[in-house]
Amino acid sequence: MEMSWIVPLFVGISLLGAFLVSLLGRKIKLLPDILGNLTVLALLCLSVLAVYVVADKGVVVYNVGNWRIPLGITLVLDGLTSFMLVTVNLVAFFIALYAVNYMKKFTSKDKFYTLFLLMLAGMNGVIITGDIFNLFVFLEIASVASYALVAFGTERHELEAAFKYAVMSTVGSLFILLGIVFLYSYTSTLNMADMASILADKGASNLVLMVSALFLMGFGLKAALVPFHAWLPDAHSSAPAPISAMLSGVLIKSLGVYTLCRLFYNVIGISSSLSSILMVLGTLSMVIGVFLAIGQWDLKRLLAYHSISQIGYVILGIGLGTPLGIAGGLFHLFNHSVFKSLLFLNSGAVEYATGTRDLKRMGGLAQKMPVTSATALTASMSIAGIPPFSGFWSKLIIIIAAVQANRYGYALWAVIASILTLASFMKVMKYAFFGQLKEKWSQVKEVPLCMKISMSMLALICLGGGLLFLPAVKEVFLDKAVRVLLEGTRYSQVILGG
Amino acid sequence: MSFIERFFKFDYLSNFIAAFVAFFSIITIIYSIGFMRGKKRQFAYYAYIIFTLFASLGVVFANHLIVFIIFWGLLGLLLYLLIGFGEKENTSATAKKTFIIIGGTDAVMLLGIALIWRISGTFAMDKLSIILNNKLAVYAYLCLAIGALAKAGAMPFHTWIPDTAEDAPTPVTAFLPASLDKLLGIYFLARISLYIFKMDAAMNTFLMVVGSFTIVAAVMMALIQHDLKRLLGYHAVSQVGYMVLGIGTGNPIGIAGGLFHMLNHAIYKSCLFFSGGAVEKEAKTTDLDKLGGFAKIMPITFISFLVASFAISGIPPFNGFASKWMIYQGIIETAKSGGYLWIVWLVAAMFGSALTLASFMKLIHAVFLGQPSQSREGKKPKIRETSIFIRIPTIILASLCIIFGVFAYQIPLKMFIIPSLGSKVQFLGVWNSSLATLLIVVGILIGAAIYLLGKVIKTRETKVFIGGEDLAKYPQMRVSGGDFYNTIQEIGFLKIIYKLAQKKIFDIYNVGSKITFGFNRILRFLHNGVLSTYLSWCLLGMGIIFYILLK
Repeated sequence: MEMSWIVPLFVGISLLGAFLVSLLGRKIKLLPDILGNLTVLALLCLSVLAVYVVADKGVVVYNVGNWRIPLGITLVLDGLTSFMLVTVNLVAFFIALYAVNYMKKFTSKDKFYTLFLLMLAGMNGVIITGDIFNLFVFLEIASVASYALVAFGTERHELEAAFKYAVMSTVGSLFILLGIVFLYSYTSTLNMADMASILADKGASNLVLMVSALFLMGFGLKAALVPFHAWLPDAHSSAPAPISAMLSGVLIKSLGVYTLCRLFYNVIGISSSLSSILMVLGTLSMVIGVFLAIGQWDLKRLLAYHSISQIGYVILGIGLGTPLGIAGGLFHLFNHSVFKSLLFLNSGAVEYATGTRDLKRMGGLAQKMPVTSATALTASMSIAGIPPFSGFWSKLIIIIAAVQANRYGYALWAVIASILTLASFMKVMKYAFFGQLKEKWSQVKEVPLCMKISMSMLALICLGGGLLFLPAVKEVFLDKAVRVLLEGTRYSQVILGG
Repeated sequence: MSFIERFFKFDYLSNFIAAFVAFFSIITIIYSIGFMRGKKRQFAYYAYIIFTLFASLGVVFANHLIVFIIFWGLLGLLLYLLIGFGEKENTSATAKKTFIIIGGTDAVMLLGIALIWRISGTFAMDKLSIILNNKLAVYAYLCLAIGALAKAGAMPFHTWIPDTAEDAPTPVTAFLPASLDKLLGIYFLARISLYIFKMDAAMNTFLMVVGSFTIVAAVMMALIQHDLKRLLGYHAVSQVGYMVLGIGTGNPIGIAGGLFHMLNHAIYKSCLFFSGGAVEKEAKTTDLDKLGGFAKIMPITFISFLVASFAISGIPPFNGFASKWMIYQGIIETAKSGGYLWIVWLVAAMFGSALTLASFMKLIHAVFLGQPSQSREGKKPKIRETSIFIRIPTIILASLCIIFGVFAYQIPLKMFIIPSLGSKVQFLGVWNSSLATLLIVVGILIGAAIYLLGKVIKTRETKVFIGGEDLAKYPQMRVSGGDFYNTIQEIGFLKIIYKLAQKKIFDIYNVGSKITFGFNRILRFLHNGVLSTYLSWCLLGMGIIFYILLK
């Protein structure tokens, strides 16, 4: 099969980048920046290429070491994979660019880029692998790298947050592992496609239901669904801004949402009770997250709680299980990656310029930091669902999908959460950027160039995000991903047949 | 071409609204040239104004609900940005509040649009004709009506208007909350009530309740205000009540009256804000207790303000009377369908009108008549009208108040309102405005002649005698007008209501934020930062999932 060579590159390039940075980074001063950015750029180009490959050739399967399917590790590139790869690598690219300036205040950039690329390797690995144990390994690679990155500042609260995060995340991982063990003992295979076909043959059983519960808890914890969310506000607010952006923007999605989708839709097979549980968890996260967010005065903590809330929207949309709902959920996933990363980068810019994250101490920064405040406004409008920004479209689709599926209550909660989201971002804009400039910030300067470029580009994507729903783009990018989930457990035939 | 045909539609109603949207935009731009001179970020200001114009045109011509909501939502954002140009202390808080109310109701409209799609499977507005015979349709109508009412500023979504009026720059207040948002909000209310949904009696009664309540409650609040722009802001709320009431009558004359009142209101309220802004620019304050005696300093502004005040109070022959008269007729028309509720609506409308007049008497006394305040005492009053860019729009609007009143049937009704309704409007009572005007003018002329004759012969001007005391030492001796109706706050049950209103019990924004922060406090109490608590939630959650899946 042609073009299948690009599949392993997503892991390979990022691992190679991490290796080279750690090996040479300390000797050559500019190397970590250049190498880190080039690696991510290469990954981004490959992801875009992957979209075309999928559009052109359909599903691409790569067998590592040429072992036949149930025996060796399989890497799979399909619509959902390419969609996730673009999301992850796009956001990662802008974050890496931003880090060039931002990470200067920390001493060891080489360690940062090494861990960053390692985390990226883990995420890309989770997304492209077709083997459930391999998925677990990549998940752990990404998680462990992220524990280290949360603690990167090595201050007291950062270490505490990292510790909490590590403990809770490990508990989640263990339940996932337990689930995998049960599934392995039941089906005698680790290949997800093979497993799906065996599960379909064997029919329903309590063991599968138990595994579903374990996975819901484990991956739900990675995705920070309520009530498994408590680690997130600490971890995401303590990390350096680019890492917060990475964690909130893509890590919880690739490790949590993507895996939930893949396993429940394509391997275990979604049932009505599972989809109701997903919708309930999604709605709970959506509402509780936003209620918690609105009272926060620490900017990054506020944003972190909003991640919980927005993931709720994604899970609600996907849980609906209708084509429109899944499309809305995935679309929101993409949009959320962009605007939430941007918001964290904005918060980083404010912290970079003023040294504080406390909203009460800011004020009037729009006058001194026009780029930051304009991009923050764009991202806020986007997350609040104000037309014509990107978040509006995905929320609209999710609400319409919920109404279409006769789930009026969920639609109503989605609207309420949206109003509260708007309210809390109005709070951010008022206290941080608008109003009177405080005396002590009269010397504040706008952030350096790379940070500005990165934020402006992300803001442009927020502004033009609605264009992704144009029929021509949607067909290639979003519909393919939706179709993978709609196919359900026929996934196995696609992979095994190809 | 097909693209435009698919998403946009041009009919009488939208053409008429669009024409006035454009008119008010131009007037506002002219006024801003005078008013905003020397302020910061001028380029952005004018850019936002022009964006607002385009977004409004988009709202008016949209024939696709999604296209409509995009422009509609964009207007909210632009309003937020425009309020930000104010330089008061509370401006950013007001901008925040406004956008939360406007943006929040927009989100509710999204739900309404989703429901409409569920019911009828289309977003094309001209293909919709939904009968309110099931719950879904009623909810859909209510969701959309909430958006329209919030934009127009009817109760209980009105609280952003007085705040905005106080804290936003005057041209912005005159442009958005006073004219454009009214035009668009009432336009959309008319659109959904006349075309998209087939109204029934219950829904009409609902609108009439909202309308009557808004008229009376807002004007009661206006009576006790101490700030020129805030007082005008409450009137901007009160007048919406008439429009909603008119549309709620459900008969052609009432609806025509509602739409006509919308147009008239936009004219006289902009005029009032524009002249108020001129006073503000001259006096550097809008506090009624610090104003006074401006009739001699700014005669042209005074006359336009006076004309607009008469118009808003519904004094014939000004335009406000013409439209109120039609609304009254509409209300009486509803009596035909039985019931006695129409008396309540009529009383509310007339009572509101009387109180409006009362509060404008206070305003005119406090700002233009009365004695100048301390700080101005001693300065010889000389005519100091502000720049010509401020005067011209004011004069144009004031003359429109007269023209649309005197020639109500010949110009606005015949040209704009009646064609846009498409049905014939039957007038109950004939009010020949031109003849009446003639009589009034003759009456005024005779009165003036008598007055002048008497004055020439007998009177002389002298200082006010206050028992030999020096007025400057006793500022409390000055009757500023700001406290005219303070006693109303002492009357029985009104006292309680005013007290509660001062605590912002009726402010949906405050109530909402109290509830939200209540929930927030409970949830934060649960997040105590202890790892073992968090882990136990996880296990508990998993236990519940286990139970649900395996039971």
